[in-house]
Formats: sequence, structure tokens, C-alpha cells
Amino acid sequence: MDPAAKARKDEIAAKRAKLAELKRQRELRTQEVDASRQQAAEAAQLVAPRPSRADHRRELDSLISNLVGNRSSSTDPRDTSSPAPGRASRPISVVSGGENVDPSTPPTQAHPPAVVEQTLSIAPLTILYEAPADSQPETVTYNRAVQTSEPWEPQRDRSLDSDDDYGLTPSKKTPRASKRLSRRERERDEELRQNIRKEVEEELKAARQLPADDSTAITTAAHESFSARILTDEERNAEESSADYLAFIERSTKVAERELDEQFDVLKDYAVKSLEDAEDEGDEAGAARGKKGRRVREVAQFFDERWCSKRCVSDIAFSPKFPELTLASYTRNNSAPHDPDGLIQVWNMHMHNRPEYTFTSQSDILTAKFSPFHPNYIIGGCYNGQVMVWDTRDRSTARDPLTSSGHTHPVYSLDIVGTQNANNIISCSTDGVVCSWSIGMLTQPQEYLELTTPPPAKTEDMAPTCIAFPKSDPTYFLAGTEEGTIYPCHRYDRAGAKAGVDARLSYRGHAAPIMSLDFHPTRGPIDLGDLVLSSSMDWGVRLWKSRPPAANAANSVSGPQTVTSLIEFVREDVVYDARWSPVKPGVFALVDGGGGVEFWDLNRDVEVPVARAVPSDRGPLKRSLNKVAWEPQEGRRTAVGGLDGVVTVFEVGAELGGLEGVRSEEWTGVKRLVGRLEGAVNGR
Amino acid sequence: MAQSAPDDALALLTRLSQKPGVQSTLVLARETGAIVRTSGLISTSSTANANSTQPASDNTLENYANGRKESGINSAEDVARLVWTFVEAAGTMIQGLDGEDEAKLLRVRTKKNELVIVPDAKFLLVVIHDTPPA
Repeated sequence: MDPAAKARKDEIAAKRAKLAELKRQRELRTQEVDASRQQAAEAAQLVAPRPSRADHRRELDSLISNLVGNRSSSTDPRDTSSPAPGRASRPISVVSGGENVDPSTPPTQAHPPAVVEQTLSIAPLTILYEAPADSQPETVTYNRAVQTSEPWEPQRDRSLDSDDDYGLTPSKKTPRASKRLSRRERERDEELRQNIRKEVEEELKAARQLPADDSTAITTAAHESFSARILTDEERNAEESSADYLAFIERSTKVAERELDEQFDVLKDYAVKSLEDAEDEGDEAGAARGKKGRRVREVAQFFDERWCSKRCVSDIAFSPKFPELTLASYTRNNSAPHDPDGLIQVWNMHMHNRPEYTFTSQSDILTAKFSPFHPNYIIGGCYNGQVMVWDTRDRSTARDPLTSSGHTHPVYSLDIVGTQNANNIISCSTDGVVCSWSIGMLTQPQEYLELTTPPPAKTEDMAPTCIAFPKSDPTYFLAGTEEGTIYPCHRYDRAGAKAGVDARLSYRGHAAPIMSLDFHPTRGPIDLGDLVLSSSMDWGVRLWKSRPPAANAANSVSGPQTVTSLIEFVREDVVYDARWSPVKPGVFALVDGGGGVEFWDLNRDVEVPVARAVPSDRGPLKRSLNKVAWEPQEGRRTAVGGLDGVVTVFEVGAELGGLEGVRSEEWTGVKRLVGRLEGAVNGR
Repeated sequence: MAQSAPDDALALLTRLSQKPGVQSTLVLARETGAIVRTSGLISTSSTANANSTQPASDNTLENYANGRKESGINSAEDVARLVWTFVEAAGTMIQGLDGEDEAKLLRVRTKKNELVIVPDAKFLLVVIHDTPPA
């Protein structure tokens, strides 16, 4: 330890001793002051009624000095005329910033002079002014010390500071002063803590009592605690920018809108107003009489001004798990360059104007569907070649990185094949690349297959527009091309055939790009899984009977074969999509460029549709329809969408959809028809 | 979709309040019952106008409150207080039935209209709308 530090330490020790001495003196003085204050009060009472003349004043002075002077040697500030000898300590205390002044003294000091005389009050007034003036800068340092050491200090403590100012020492003694102050501070903290503890205990007690009380007490308590007030702007802004608030609004308004869109009135009393209802029923029955079960009724239209306007519907799919949910993907809105190009909206049958979910992507979404194995996943293909997976639970997005290992051309068609435990996304882009993806890992495709046009063709390049898997075999699929030919393809090498396009077979008939391919969904007594429906830009729909892949190997010697369609349904406009009903074996729906949706039943008629419907008008123009989708569980509803971005849902009558009333004759009927058509084709 | 959150929330509320039949909407804080937003309700406080989802409140007042003025559009504070105490009461009722349960949706049909109350952990949404024409 260096001598300077030691000297300083000694000095500090000396000062400490001196301080202790001062403190003792001060305590003494405060006692005296208290006593003298009482005296002064008495004196004032005595003095006040007297007239203030000079001779009286002298008398008074002497009286005071008699009364006070002999008792207090140092602290009577009024006694200026005769300074007491015992005031040796006074200058020191003045230097030390009036530390002798008790918090309660200033008012009493100020009071008597007013009563007595102005001349008397001069000296004590200066001292009085000195004390707070000196301590003024001190307040700051003190506050700072407190704030830094104990930042959690409750605010009310700061109000106490003003009391404390009186006890402050000048700046040269600051460390010690603050030490003493902090001791006092600690005491006050203790007090505060005890208070808080007491409050908490009371609250706890109250809380414990509350459940014990009966319900009326609770409601009255609720009444009392209710604050019928409106938040201020700041509070509201704070509330509204919280994530909780947004999530709540999102959720609750959805609930409320669903509730509002519910058409059925649960409280409806059919006994009242039965007359009006009867009239309505009569009308309806009249309209439906001619069609019976073949009625097609529009039940909902989904459109959102903000998102759907100026976009086209590129794909529609129903949720396999929740029949009320319909997915629609949209192309870009050219007039809104700042909106995301790709859009998927999930609509609810019970909420017509607002989607349940909205997903976006950087590129137009050309095709999308729910995964049949994970109802929360939505899988989409984009114009830039990306394959994307959205999760409706946390609204996350997964996408494949745009690399040459995946697609580099638009993905117009994809499917999810496999079983619950082992399934893949199969996507197909217009450059002939077919990729297989695992839903959990989109960083690179599991399989990569390039389709090429088989030999007797001008070019090897193949431009598939759509692919379709049979329900029974996930390793074999059909690919419809832009040239109008449909090729069978294998995902893997087989006996006698390599992976890729099967060169020995082609389905020829369409003269324009194939727009859709759909295998028959077999869910009945007879397997019709080899029936394929194709729609094309050549204004027609064709029905094909696909050859099982195993049979090709047997016929391999006979060279390339061409299969022709069983039947062609010629329409008067471009047919963009054709889909089998999921429940009725002979029923399919198609949408055309004329903006209509048609329902066909092979059992009833192969020349004319059973029913045709047009979505109710939203604009002056008839807009063509791009896509049609069946609700997969019951097959009662179909959704169509097209150029104007409106998704329209139709409900079909009992003969076109619905699980009840599916007769086995219908299956045999289709089978017989196919056999007859096949015979006719072969006999030709 | 990912725009500024308050705007989105406001847009959703405005949508809701503009739906045909909706008379008024009200968002309350769950704990205190303080009014966060209202539309279609008269409020005694001047700041309520700033709080309401304009211009929805005007429309709803003009279009859907036809002939209802005499029956009295309650002030937002009244509705808030009544609904809040009602939700609290419903909460205690449900707590009494099953301690782990809680209210998710309250629909109250009256002769004149219907209240849809969506309680949540932090907020309450109240929608008052006409009953379907019957």
C-alpha cells in the first residue's frame, strides 16, 4: 500500500470520527430545537396580540432571550441581537449545508419572524435560503446514485427525495453523505418492502376469500372492477400492434363471419308463415320437376375483391379431410406488380367472401392440391419450376431451391402418389422433366426422369402438359403432350422397358394440346380403373381404355402400337378440364371455354350432357372456365373456376352425385358400354 | 398478406362491420373490459370516434339501423359493460361445470337481433347483427 493511500485512509478515518461527533451534536440540537419550537409557539401566542411598538419590542426581545437563550446555546436563529457563546459549532454546520436543520424545522422557523418583526427575520431567512440552495445540485447526484444502484425503485420513492434534501451535506463530503443516505435509504427500502409485503398478503387473502364467496359476490366484484372506458390512442396502438391482437382478430372475425354466412336459421319455426314457405317450395318443385335428380344448383361463389380480381383460377381442389374446404390457386395479377404473383386461397363453404387461408409465392401457381395423406399440406407447382409445400397449421412454406437438379420449366401438373406411409410428390414440367419429391425434403428431387418423344418423331423434345396416375399403380402414368398424343410412362425400369416414355405404345386421337387427363376412380364392385378421360383444345373429350403396363411386355415384338379412343364427345368449344365423379361410375363433369360446366352420364346418354350450368353472372362477359373439381367424399358438389377468378360451387342432384342410390347396375352398365365401344373400335 | 399488422386487423374488422346485417362490432380487452375498438355504436367519449372503424360505423348506422334508433342504440360503454359481465358470468358457469373448460363462442338470440361473442385469452369480439329475415 502506498503512503498516499494510507494518508488518505487516515484522513478519511479522521473525518469519519469528526462526522460522528457532528452527528451526535446534531441529534442534541434537534432535541433542543424541538423544545425551543414549543417554546417559540408559546411565545408567539403570548406576543401576537401585543401592538408592535419599539419599547414593546425591546421587552419582547429580552423576554425571548430570557426564555430561549438560557436553554439553547446554538440553534435559536431569531436571537440575532445577542449571539450565544455556545455557537462555536454554528459556522461548521453552516458550511456543512445546514445539516442541523430538521425536516420539520423550516416552517416553524419561518413562522415566528412573521409574527414578531421584520428586522428580526433577516438573519434566519438567509440561512434558510442557504440550505435548500446548497442542496439543490446535491439532489441530482443523490438521485443518480439511487437510480443507478437500484433502478427498480418504485416511483413514489422519488417524491421522498425532497424531504431528504434538508439532510444533505456539501459536495466535498458526498461519498460519506451518500453512504449515510444509503443507510437511510436502506431503512426506507425496508419499510417499503414491508409495506409491499403487507399489500401482497392482503391481496392474497382477498384472492383466497374470493372463491369462497358465493357467485353474487363475484359478480358484484366484477361490476366494481369493470372500467367502462375506452383505451387511449397510445394504449390502443400498443394493443393493436401486438401479435396476440392480430391473431385474435384473424380468428374471431373468421368465426363471426362463418356464423353470419350460415344461411340456416336455427330458430326457424315452420308452423309460422308456413304459407309463404309453401309457395316457395312450389316454385322450386316446378323448376326441378323436369330434371328430377339431375338438378344442378349453384350453392356458393368465392371471390375476394382484394386478392382475386384480375387473376385467373389455375387450379381447384377439395380438401380430402374437410369437405367444406376448397382450394383455389391463381395466376398473377398483371395490374398489381407489388402483389405476389402466385396465390392460393382456401375457401370455406360457410364463409363466401373471405378465404380461410391465403398463401402466396413469387411465381404464378399453376397447379395445387391438398395432400391426401397430410390434410394440412398444400402442394403447388409454379411457373418458375418450383414445387412448393404450404402447411396450414403454422402457415409455413417449403419450396425447392431453384436449381438445375429440379425443374427449370413451368410445372403444370403434379400428383401425390403412394400410401399413407410412403408417398411422393410427382411433378412434371413442360420440358419433359418428371421429378419425385419427398414431402419433407424439397432440397433436391428423389428421382429425376426426363421424358423424350419416342423415335418416329421430328424432335426428341417432349412437352407434357399433364400427367395422370392410375389409382392402383404409382409406378406408371400417362402424360398428355402439347402435340395431342398421350404417352404411357414408367417411373422405373421394368422387364422389357426402360424408365421413361414407353415407346411401344401411344394414345393418339387429339389434334391439339391435351388439357387434362383423369383416370377413373374405382370405388365400386367392378374395376373401371383403366378408363381414362382426356380433354383437349381440339374441342373434344375422349374416353380411352388404357393398356395395363404388363401387357405391353408381351406384345413387345409387334412394334409401336397406337391406341385409339373408345369414344369422342365433341363439344362446341375448347374443353379445358374433364373429371370423373368420385362416386358415380358413369358420370363426369367438364368445363369449356364458353364458360359452362356440363355433367355427363355414360349410362344415360353419350351424345348430350345430362345437365349444363353456367355460374351466375359477375360481369357482362361470359368468362371461360379453366378447372373443375369434385368433392371427393360424397361427390355431391363440384367447384369450377376460370378467367375471372371466381370459384363457383355447384351442388348436383341425387342422380349425379351423392353416396346414396349408387346402384350396381350403373357399374355393369358402364362396363357393358365400354365393351360395346371396344368392339366397335376393333371391328372398324 | 404480410402487411403491417394493425392495418390488416383494421381491414378485417371493417370487412366484418360492413357485412350486411351487422349493426355493430366491439373489441374489448378480456381482463378489464376496456374498449379497444368499436363500430356502429354511439360512444359518450369523444375519442371513441377515433377508435371506431370508420367509415363503417356511419354506414352501419345509416343502412342497417333503420328504425332502430328509437329502440335505442346503446352507448359502447353500456354494451361493453353488459357484455363483459355476461361473459364473466358465463365463464364462472362453465368453470363450475368443468374446471378445465372455457367458453369459446356465445350466441345470444334476442327478439330483435343476435349477439355473437367470441371470447379469447386476451380479447373479446362482439358482433351485433340482425337476425336472418324470417
